[in-house]
Amino acid sequence: MSSERIIHVADLRFINESLGSLRGDIGTVSQQVESVGSNLDQTRNELAWLKEAFDNFVAADIKAKELSLAETRQVKIRQELESTFGYYAQIRRQATGILQASDIQLVRKETLRNATEELMLAAPRYWLAPALVALSAWLGDNRELATRALAEAGRRDDEKTSLFFALIARRAGRNEACRRWLDRYFALQNPYHLDRQTVVMLDAMANGVFGADASMHCSKRVSLWIDELAQRVGFVETQRRQWSDGLLSKTPNVEHGNRYSHLQRYCPNWSALNGALNGVAMHQAVLEHFDGVFKGEIKAESSVLIAVDNLLSKLVTRFDDEELPLRRQEEMCRFIIEEGGDKLAAIKRNDLQSKALDDQVDFTQLLTNAAMHPETSHVTRATQRFAIAHSRDWILAAHADLTAKVRLAIPIKVQITIEDWTGETANGENETDLLANLKDSIAKLETEALTQAKLSGLHWIVLVFGVLMVFATFSAGLLLLLVGAACLTWVFLAYRQIEQTRAKIRAKFATLLDQSTQALRACIAETVELRRDIAKRDHIANAVTALLESISPEQHILAHHDAVRRVLNNK
Amino acid sequence: MARTIMGTKPHETTPLRTKAVGSANTKLEGDALRVRLRQKRSGAYVEGMTRLDAGTHLHGAHSALAAQALMDLIRQELPDVSVEALPIGIVAKCYLGVPYEVHTLSCAGCIIQHFKQGEALPHLMERARSLAQHPEYAFIEVYSSRLVTVTTNGQTAIIDI
Repeated sequence: MSSERIIHVADLRFINESLGSLRGDIGTVSQQVESVGSNLDQTRNELAWLKEAFDNFVAADIKAKELSLAETRQVKIRQELESTFGYYAQIRRQATGILQASDIQLVRKETLRNATEELMLAAPRYWLAPALVALSAWLGDNRELATRALAEAGRRDDEKTSLFFALIARRAGRNEACRRWLDRYFALQNPYHLDRQTVVMLDAMANGVFGADASMHCSKRVSLWIDELAQRVGFVETQRRQWSDGLLSKTPNVEHGNRYSHLQRYCPNWSALNGALNGVAMHQAVLEHFDGVFKGEIKAESSVLIAVDNLLSKLVTRFDDEELPLRRQEEMCRFIIEEGGDKLAAIKRNDLQSKALDDQVDFTQLLTNAAMHPETSHVTRATQRFAIAHSRDWILAAHADLTAKVRLAIPIKVQITIEDWTGETANGENETDLLANLKDSIAKLETEALTQAKLSGLHWIVLVFGVLMVFATFSAGLLLLLVGAACLTWVFLAYRQIEQTRAKIRAKFATLLDQSTQALRACIAETVELRRDIAKRDHIANAVTALLESISPEQHILAHHDAVRRVLNNK
Repeated sequence: MARTIMGTKPHETTPLRTKAVGSANTKLEGDALRVRLRQKRSGAYVEGMTRLDAGTHLHGAHSALAAQALMDLIRQELPDVSVEALPIGIVAKCYLGVPYEVHTLSCAGCIIQHFKQGEALPHLMERARSLAQHPEYAFIEVYSSRLVTVTTNGQTAIIDI
């Protein structure tokens, strides 16, 4: 009896304390594990967010630095242009200054002569200096000096000199002299290798600056050049390639992620979709470009004097080849600034437009440059119209090819990845199937997670042991009952803990299902919108074709300043 | 730049088109072949190709006869193109209805096949699948290195692959 009492007191305390401690420890560890798990998930999400934010920051920083560098470089290049070729500027200003001064007869001939002779000393290699000496000698009736100066100007740059004096003769109303200078100019031309200043001749023709006779002469020469170039093998294909590049340069480079935020986040082929959107947006840009060129009436200059002066200043300021390397760098800086610091996009644009600043181009490339890059080629809207009208068939072929290429690049399937689930849709038509699939996938994951949350082997052993102890009570006494009860209590507590864990798993997967379903629905909705958007932009290709087909070359030469009627001969 | 007319020998020669493009005995290649393939297709050819899935072509002997007739149509349309440069197949939108999506005429085996959504096309034809379904195009000619899209009025466009 006494031994039973001793065992009773000693064992109860020990087992109770041990069980209590064990229960407490298990509870604590379990809570800590859960807390660590949830912290890990949160940390992982934050890390992903941080990485994205960091990547964006780096990209934005690089762009900002490139932008700032391009702006600084642009200023430097302009300063270098000013310092290296600045002394040309004075000579250039005097070209039209001399003509206008002699118009109103305000300057004495000696002053003109002295001024131009000083310029001759200041610019040893420049073609315009002897040309101005010749001009002042001509105004001062000094034939001998004029001839010698002209010979020198011709030696320095025959083509520019011929064009310069053709325009001056036109300004003075000496049509025969104008025609002879133009003859000389055309004799020097090779349609395979034309200098950039040929656009000045085109400008003069398209704006009706030349007289009827000279204009017809130019028009015939242009037709002959095109015919000659068309004899080359692969001519049409070259045109198509030139125009493809020209049209492609109008493709915008826009990130559409703001409008399609869910697709941007959940769609692995988003960059291809974004590229496809930009590709079809090219049609709108091309339509606006051509529409802008052909819309409205072009007002001719009020007098032939102003028109010729404008052309003269363009001829003397824009086409000096010595400046070309710096002008190309300046152009590159302009692209970087326009693309907001995106150097790759700027390089791509520069590659497509670089031919506009080539030293020499063939006549059709000259037309392409004039039509697509008027700001780099320095042409007027009338010349743009003329160039587009003459290139119409090539533009149509290039546009058809480009349209097909852009359509081919539109991804057939939109892939969607939400957490571990992936699916794809073409136009969002399989929304019900995808939702069911997503639900099944999450249910499967949930079942797997629930399967993990179960009583372990130890629990089952302890449970069996506890039950045996309870049954053994009848033969071995109260002590075993207590041990069995303790075991069963421990297993019960563990079971309750597992039930709580399972409830948390169910809640977590319910939230996941809800969020994933919403994300998938949003992706499907955006896919439908995206397809509609692409179809709408793609449809504009038809409007471009219709606009181009409505153009004919004959319509696009402005009326002459002379009071003569233009008669078209179709033969 | 001034061109050399007299005196010195020109340092570059420009090849000129001395023969009419596509004469029967000329083997077209390079740009000349591209120019030929770019030419507008005839109404009869386009009509023949667009009737590829007119129901009767679905079964056995009919299918073989129809495919042979279409092959003849291709040879008539491109008589000056050498056999190896002819299309390896035609892909067009299938109007048999769901689940059929596109059909193909394989020139090598003279076979017309109809493909369901999600069903893979023969290797080289697969790349024309999306274009074939575009409403602007009547059908797509598939060549080994390019695709030629043809509209209902015979206008073409070339995509180099």
